[in-house]
Amino acid sequence: MDNYSGSGTATDQTLPTKKLHLKHVAKSFGGRKVVDIEDLTLGCCGIEGLIGPNGAGKTTLMSIITHGLKSDSGEVFYYPNNCEVEISNMRLDEIARLGIVKTNQIIQDFASLTIRDSLLLSLSTPKYERFYKIFSEGALRKEAEEEIEGYLEYFHFENPEGYALSAGEKKLLDIIRCLLLKPKFLLMDEPMAGLPEDQMRKVMDLMMKKTSEEDLSILIVEHDLDVIWEVCESVHFMAEGKVLFQGSPAEIRDHKTVVEKYLGSSHV
Amino acid sequence: MAYFIFGFSTMVMFVALAVLLHLQFGVTGIVNFGIAGFWGLGMYSFGVFLVHFGFPYAVSLLLATALTGVLAFALGWVILDMDGQAVLVATLAFATIVMHLVTTEKWLTEGVKGLGTIRYPFDLGRSTEAVFLLIVVVITIAIILYAYKLHSAPYGRLLLAIKDNETLARSLSKPTFHQKLIFFTITSTVMGFLGALNGSINQFLIPRMLGPGVTFTVWIALILGGYRRVLGGLIGAVAAIGLFDLVIETYTPIPAAYAQMVPAIKLMLYGLTLMLVILFRPLGILGDRKRSYLHG
Repeated sequence: MDNYSGSGTATDQTLPTKKLHLKHVAKSFGGRKVVDIEDLTLGCCGIEGLIGPNGAGKTTLMSIITHGLKSDSGEVFYYPNNCEVEISNMRLDEIARLGIVKTNQIIQDFASLTIRDSLLLSLSTPKYERFYKIFSEGALRKEAEEEIEGYLEYFHFENPEGYALSAGEKKLLDIIRCLLLKPKFLLMDEPMAGLPEDQMRKVMDLMMKKTSEEDLSILIVEHDLDVIWEVCESVHFMAEGKVLFQGSPAEIRDHKTVVEKYLGSSHV
Repeated sequence: MAYFIFGFSTMVMFVALAVLLHLQFGVTGIVNFGIAGFWGLGMYSFGVFLVHFGFPYAVSLLLATALTGVLAFALGWVILDMDGQAVLVATLAFATIVMHLVTTEKWLTEGVKGLGTIRYPFDLGRSTEAVFLLIVVVITIAIILYAYKLHSAPYGRLLLAIKDNETLARSLSKPTFHQKLIFFTITSTVMGFLGALNGSINQFLIPRMLGPGVTFTVWIALILGGYRRVLGGLIGAVAAIGLFDLVIETYTPIPAAYAQMVPAIKLMLYGLTLMLVILFRPLGILGDRKRSYLHG
């Protein structure tokens, strides 16, 4: 197991397949350091978990990567197709266009868009989004139909022409919108909260299918640890703004400090 | 008859402005309180190009529209990243600046003495005004049709998404600021273009025409009719201006002794109607498609 609080060189061996590299990233709120990462490599495998107690800085770290929040200092590098892009100073929408997308912990929705509209919005590209292209709806729908129908059937939306009403539907919609962007690196912030059991299963299956079939890596924050143990190939443990340990789910589950600080003895 | 055409032209003008405001506020969520500024800038710069510099009609129209567009772009660039209240104050300030510049720069605009005469683009004798009205009506219908079509186009969907949740739209890779800026510039430019046409309808321009009254009337019309619907602007403007200005003020037989009270009563009725609408139909006469969908 690599100890991240020590030297930063331990990650070099995983260089060829990494997708993201964070260096000296720090963020404070009102004098309290919420995120303080020396050196962190992400996207070395299909699905990675990020766990830790409340207030560890997990959501803040994710927001810094997609630039929903600006970090106080540090650099974030992205490696699409083996080239290096510094994304620390890019805007949220630019980063999304590069293929780094995040699902939201707190429910986010477009109040005036129906379920289908919401998905069409996500799938629509700049070539349709010009003020004079007011007759392009047919072409977009035709292009999008198969993919959207696939998701709608998979998750059994009752009325796709209506508005997402329940928290679960909105949460699912958020995840599908992100997947429709065909991201390379997907950050999922507590995707299972508010989802019924059967839909949770479907999301997990979909995550595993997508990461094995496509060029997609997922970083997931989740408090339902059974999900983490099941889907993740690698887990990062975060506390007080620092990533303290990294390892396979089994290693993290049995780590003494993790058990003491977070899991409690009942999990052993 | 001539007075009716003038009144009707004004009403059509307000319908067009209200539909444009629907596009800016009801669809995109941009709180534009500077309508009189863009409209007035188009009108006065058109007048200056035509009368002061003696440019041909079409050139003046083009230059006035372009000038409004450039200023709308510059203003939008500065303010569109701010929140709603800031945009409200900034656009209102813009309109106030335009009105004051028009008043003080006498060498260009003749100040309060007024600028005239602004002619029509053609002379068809007695039917000139009616034909010009027809042109304005056609342009207004075109704007309404555009707005309708926009509601079922990917671009309209994007603008609605920006209004609902701009951060979420950006996280879905949409360059929201860029899109808002383009749309704000275009719709404000059309306001300037309409203002230029209004120069011909009015023939004579005075700074008072650019007061906040225009902006407020358009807002009242849109809120009255229903800001989320394309026809909200049409119905609101017809009700607010058609009913009050044309029918009550002009054609209702009121004894001469009470004639002086009419403008005051009109304003009171305006206020009362607006209060009743906000109390009982907060989304305007036409309401919201979403709600009727959910319950019907």
